[in-house]
Amino acid sequence: MMRLSNVAVGVLWAMTATVFLLLYSPLLIPIISSFFNIAHGEVQWNDPSLSSYTALAGNAGILEALGNTLIVGFSATLLSLVFGTLLALHYCGGKSIGREAMQFAIYLPFLMPPIITGLSLLIFFRETGIPRSLMTVIAAHTVFVQALTYRTIVVRLQSIGPYMIEASTDLGASAWQTLIHIILPSLSSTLIGAGVLSFAMSFDETLITLLVTGTDSTLPIRLWAMMRLGFAPDINALVAIILALTTLLCILAVRLLLPAELESAE
Amino acid sequence: MIFIGSARTGFWPRLLAAFAYGLPIVLIIAPLLSFLAYSLFRMENGQIVSDLSLVNYRRFFSDAIFIPILWKTCLLCITVAALATLIGYPVAFLLANLKGRRRYFVLLMVLVPLLMSYIIKIYAIRSILGGNGFLNRFLLWTGLIEQPLTLFVFNLNAVLLTLTILLIPFAILPIFLSLERIPRNLIEASSDLGASSMQTFARIVLPLSMPGIVTAATFVFVLAIGDFLTPQMVGGQSGFTFGRIVYSQFGTAFNWPFGAALATILAIVVMSVIAVGSRLENRQK
Repeated sequence: MMRLSNVAVGVLWAMTATVFLLLYSPLLIPIISSFFNIAHGEVQWNDPSLSSYTALAGNAGILEALGNTLIVGFSATLLSLVFGTLLALHYCGGKSIGREAMQFAIYLPFLMPPIITGLSLLIFFRETGIPRSLMTVIAAHTVFVQALTYRTIVVRLQSIGPYMIEASTDLGASAWQTLIHIILPSLSSTLIGAGVLSFAMSFDETLITLLVTGTDSTLPIRLWAMMRLGFAPDINALVAIILALTTLLCILAVRLLLPAELESAE
Repeated sequence: MIFIGSARTGFWPRLLAAFAYGLPIVLIIAPLLSFLAYSLFRMENGQIVSDLSLVNYRRFFSDAIFIPILWKTCLLCITVAALATLIGYPVAFLLANLKGRRRYFVLLMVLVPLLMSYIIKIYAIRSILGGNGFLNRFLLWTGLIEQPLTLFVFNLNAVLLTLTILLIPFAILPIFLSLERIPRNLIEASSDLGASSMQTFARIVLPLSMPGIVTAATFVFVLAIGDFLTPQMVGGQSGFTFGRIVYSQFGTAFNWPFGAALATILAIVVMSVIAVGSRLENRQK
């Protein structure tokens, strides 16, 4: 962007390195500890072992929570992609009454602090007599991540422009044919990217989940309950595994969502 | 777009329209309305009484503890927003000046902590900050201090530090995007006219990245004020924030109507901050 002197570049890199140290040291400490034995709540730095990983494999509670998280993540991602696409198609389908207001409503769960989204759903489920379960968690995650999938899809639809679709209709294709042969193929990379990001967000969602969940807990909720009790070696192993997976998901999302020019600008 | 002209009145388009209005109404607007309604109910003998009244709001304004805590929480979150923006700016600026592989790498380094488990980060920071934590043990080991520091042991400072670390990536991204939008010819013109890079930065880049700074600060503030787990995990007894009080109304204190009223007040604060933020942003443009 600018022509910077070597000193300025050096200073910027030093500052950035410090920020990364701040951001990553909370992640690195449990990961490094995960490869050592822990006795009396202290890490035994001279006793490397994989015991935290075997402890993790034997922790039924965590594995069950992990299973729940995957169920919730996949369901919410799928639902939010389907809903997001339908809502976006409607929004882009021309002027309809109150469409700006509807769009604002779709963004609300994302704009509002999670405590408000969570509480309003909690009260709503109570009033309508829906018992709290994984289903309510899936519903909550769907409205939360749908704001994001919707937004991404609208942006993509607007960038495609109306010409392809007009051409398709002019050539005699039905709305279904246009959807299947024109719109969905041109949305595919957006859908995959938004899906990855939605899944990652659902995987980590804690504040809303805590309010709407019943007896089933997802991984963050389970971890929260465990951490209140104190230090557990298997958490460290889990952190290492989750960090590896998240990095992978993140590389995928960046590849799929970021426009190529942002990556290689100038 | 997909349903043009006469096709808009067919069966499928109507179904789509019904869905497009129905879904937000059922899953977003109805819950928010029932939430607002709850804030007007009240508790009597452990039962929720559904008569509409402003008794919860009156309690908020008349009781001497709630407004000071809200104010203290706002100050905390403003500090977090200022710190995160200040710390995030150099990273965003470097990112905007990088190209190719290096840019990709730094961007990825910013994004990974964003997606990394929030609960695990709080937990890890807790194990670093505690009285017997890694930081204190490290400082004792180096001989810099003789007694464990209590500055960051489960109090508001710890909350401040933890929230800042958690939210820095949210500050970096909007600033980076606003730096990207600055037209290159303005910067070239500035240096062609003989401005040093310091002058170009102070007169051109910094003012033009103001919208990004405002977005970043608003973003961080909103995320910080809505968080109730971080203060609970690292705040200890003294780190009591407004979010924690709201949450406790739905747990130990068990007063849902009052909790809903407090959360409504929180929502009003958040909405005003977002409104002021977007106002400032538009004025900068």
